[in-house]
Amino acid sequence: MSSPSRTDARPAPALVAPTLVAPTQLAPAPVPARRGTGRRIARTVAHHAFLLAAVAVMVLPVLWALAVSFKTPGGVFDENPLPWPATLDNYRVATQDFPVWRLLLNTTVMAAGATLLQLLFAVPGAYALARFPPRGHRAVEALIVVTLLVPPQSLIIPLFLMVTELGWRNTYPGLILPQLVGTGLAVMLLRDHIRAVPATVLGAAVLDGARPGEALRMVVLPLLRPALGAVSILLFITSWNEYLWPSLIAPGMEDTTIQPGLAFFLTQEGSAYGPLLAGSMLATLPVVAAYLLASRRVTDAFMHSGLR
Amino acid sequence: MTQLSQVAGGRGVSHAPPSGRLRDRARPWLYLAPVIVALLVWVYGPLVFTGVLSFMDWNLTAPHPSWVGTDNYTLLTDDPRFGEAVRNTLVYAAAMLPFATLVPMALAVALWKRPGRVSNVYRTLLFLPVVLAPVATAVVWQFLLDPLSGLVNVALGWFGLDPRNWLGDPSSALYVIVLITALKVVALNTLLFGAALATLDRGLLEAAALDGATEWDITRHLVLPHLRRALVLLGLLSLVVTWPWIFSNVAVLTQGGPDGSTDNVYYRMFLYAFAFFDAGTASAAAVVITAGLAVVLGLGLLLTGRRQRVVT
Amino acid sequence: MNPVRMATRLRRSPRAGIALIAATTLAALTACGGADSPAADAGTDSSSDQPITISFLSYNYGTPDIGGQGTQALIDAFEKAHPNITIKPQGVAVADVLTRLQTDTAAGSPPDVAQIGWSKMAAAYELLPIVPVQDIPPAADWDAAMEGFSENLLSAVAVDGKVKAVPYTISIPVIFYNADLFRQAGLDPAKPPTTIAEVKAAALAVTDKTDAEGVYLAVADPGKSDYMTQSVIASNGGREVGADGMPAFDQPAAVSALATVADLTSSGAQPAIAATNAVAAFSAGKLSMLIGSTAIAASLQKAADGKFELATTGFPSFGDKPAAPTYSGAGLAVLAKDPARQQAAWEFIKFLTSAEGFTIITSQIGYLPLRPALATDPKYLAPYFASNDLLSPALAQLDDVSPYQSFTGKNASKAVVTLQDEAIEPIVLRGADPAATLSAVAGDIRGFLAQK
Repeated sequence: MSSPSRTDARPAPALVAPTLVAPTQLAPAPVPARRGTGRRIARTVAHHAFLLAAVAVMVLPVLWALAVSFKTPGGVFDENPLPWPATLDNYRVATQDFPVWRLLLNTTVMAAGATLLQLLFAVPGAYALARFPPRGHRAVEALIVVTLLVPPQSLIIPLFLMVTELGWRNTYPGLILPQLVGTGLAVMLLRDHIRAVPATVLGAAVLDGARPGEALRMVVLPLLRPALGAVSILLFITSWNEYLWPSLIAPGMEDTTIQPGLAFFLTQEGSAYGPLLAGSMLATLPVVAAYLLASRRVTDAFMHSGLR
Repeated sequence: MTQLSQVAGGRGVSHAPPSGRLRDRARPWLYLAPVIVALLVWVYGPLVFTGVLSFMDWNLTAPHPSWVGTDNYTLLTDDPRFGEAVRNTLVYAAAMLPFATLVPMALAVALWKRPGRVSNVYRTLLFLPVVLAPVATAVVWQFLLDPLSGLVNVALGWFGLDPRNWLGDPSSALYVIVLITALKVVALNTLLFGAALATLDRGLLEAAALDGATEWDITRHLVLPHLRRALVLLGLLSLVVTWPWIFSNVAVLTQGGPDGSTDNVYYRMFLYAFAFFDAGTASAAAVVITAGLAVVLGLGLLLTGRRQRVVT
Repeated sequence: MNPVRMATRLRRSPRAGIALIAATTLAALTACGGADSPAADAGTDSSSDQPITISFLSYNYGTPDIGGQGTQALIDAFEKAHPNITIKPQGVAVADVLTRLQTDTAAGSPPDVAQIGWSKMAAAYELLPIVPVQDIPPAADWDAAMEGFSENLLSAVAVDGKVKAVPYTISIPVIFYNADLFRQAGLDPAKPPTTIAEVKAAALAVTDKTDAEGVYLAVADPGKSDYMTQSVIASNGGREVGADGMPAFDQPAAVSALATVADLTSSGAQPAIAATNAVAAFSAGKLSMLIGSTAIAASLQKAADGKFELATTGFPSFGDKPAAPTYSGAGLAVLAKDPARQQAAWEFIKFLTSAEGFTIITSQIGYLPLRPALATDPKYLAPYFASNDLLSPALAQLDDVSPYQSFTGKNASKAVVTLQDEAIEPIVLRGADPAATLSAVAGDIRGFLAQK
């Protein structure tokens, strides 16, 4: 059944290259006795200096936001970066005069829903493409790859009209379903991960009489955890940070998500920076939680060195 | 049903069909149907719609759009602002590229080299910029870059540099927006490079090290080749996924200014559609963007695909 | 998102997963069948005494600050006075008002009453199914309700002699100044500048004698509103927009007005920074004068509290011509189709712009009482003005305001953005030549206003 055209099917670029690199070309040099501990210390220092410098730059805006969230209205514009005198008033405003919990719930449901939905659509498709590509799979792959090239922003007007037509404004389906626009990315990423699952593992399962569906559930998915972790973080974060779509499709104060919600603090009567940043600090909590949960998958695999 | 030749490393596996040819042939389509239908409905349908709208004059509320032929395209090509936006978009993409590829890759490799609790702390801290809400990010940088008293100018003052109006100067504003946005891109891609490294077999490296390979040898010959495809894909992806983040920074901080220097096709498309309510011109811009991106990314995929075959 | 749980769920209940996929696919498929007729508004037919609910879109409502609290107070007071009418308020970010109205209208569910900024009003008239408020009640009713309302303002907002949207949260530009910095610079805070030349002199005195910046005239703002541009040009005897709705800002009076503002920057009296930076600097006590809208009075007061003495004075005149600032802020427009809802909307608007309404608006949100007599009426706002006179100079200029001028046609919004971005900002912040820039941009705008 193998057709010649299939033979030259090449894997598209993969996020996580499944290729296990063969330990070649490394001439077996004599083991150096002691290359000097001084050099090793220097390397360690350089390592930490590099990472610490990166961390300093990356964390600065977050720390600044945290500091301002404790400043008084008069102190917000002070040069002193430390929030002194400190106040919890901004958090009171963000939680009492602003439906921050409701918006965070909406955002979590939207981002989790969009992530889950995309994975539900993507995993079987990726599995099929990786393991039993049908005749014409090249066309399917082309159809998927092209969707990666379409900037979602350029579809916003038709999507808006579709969702409006369905009566889904200010609803979760309206927020979530159009995010299937990005499913192609998840398919292509996961396809390459599934290909990386060693044949022996799958073969054993098949020999045990597992049907493809069972092999997917019992063998592939567990092995795919680091990849699923990384892909779901990508999908979750992109969805979480979405501004334009929720502001158009769910503009209601109680129906929208946190990103357009925070813009409510930039008012005509002056910008309430303190409460805005207090709200944004609260908004980081679910994402940090999601990250910690998902990244453990990534990190575990990381620690246990690759595929088992 | 052999796909051995197709899969790198020849690890493809076939499912011996226990029963029914037809079922066997239908199965892949059963698995593929949801995603194909989803993409037809949510991408291709709207895409065609956008194409049609690009020949219309419509403000979203008028009962009927009117057919105007290629007027919208003429309007775009005649508008010097759109031309400038296209040029800026290319500069954005080029300036963002190292932050989508080299920088996060270096960070991910550094983290991967010394696994452990300390690295996990670094990894979590490096992820933080992504977590900060886009509007909050923009507001924070508005403070930090304040021309009169912002921390950035104060810090530069320690090195004897004069304060500058970073976002108010047409020669620097775009690059400042890139840098601000880059923090998020670096944060996310460090994580994704880390995931790519997770599939690299550490035992292999230990073996190489025992064989006397230096750390640089290992990085050069084992780690970097392993990341090549991730590098290409994340580079190409940055052309697609960073725009919403650039958008929110532009919308809050510069609104495309000063003198149009931070304008880009995505922001302009938004202006056409939702500030000027000109759905036709916005759609024409969308068509132009999609076509342009398709050409760039298509070429990219083609070239790297060819190289890939040479390499593996 | 927990991928483990997700994977487990997938493993445990494959059927549920497939069912979900099937369901969403089906739902998505039905989307294909849709045509382009917007869903009909579920209008209710009810006579005026029956309970009725109308929606009110307001960019003040829902803001976690004075604007939101004040709007809630207004709604509460109205519902108490009209138990049969329920107001369903909808919040919206101020930057998104027109987008929201446009998309709501496209979706077939526009709000019954909407608060719309004046810089967007012409576009709103053009794009949205707005019912002129003056057409809703009988003429006698209208006249009775508007008794005591600033006549100058009503005639300024009228289109072809008819008030389409009633002025609601209105502000006009004033000079905010830091009295402490004035004293440090040897200026008398009791005698603030009244002309633009005096403003410049005072600013230079401040930059000379203190570390602070002089003045900032917020003519280019991130909201792309042109009310300050209009105020400056009108105070110099010119017009931004001609009577034909076409650019008039390339005429000599307008050019020299902007040259005067540009001169503030080039002389060092005004820092070349963005308006947001200027507000931050003024709030931090590092800028002695901020010429901006009274809308931000309350938040400036909050920032200044305990740090410096904040005071206001009227918009400066240009030479011996009278100051003629343009108002900014918002009006109330009706989009309800159903007559019963239109009646309820009129009752609501009547209340919001009544003596009681403006008492709440002024004392709680900080917008001008458009019934000037209230300021001295002990029953209403006299106590407020006795303790807080930041708004007094603006109130005194209410009779001098010049009408807000709008460009014509469907590209009006684009014209305003183009003017602000490509002429005003380069001229006042970056030293572009006023005459040449204004004339080039005017030509450009004339071109696209005439299009299609």
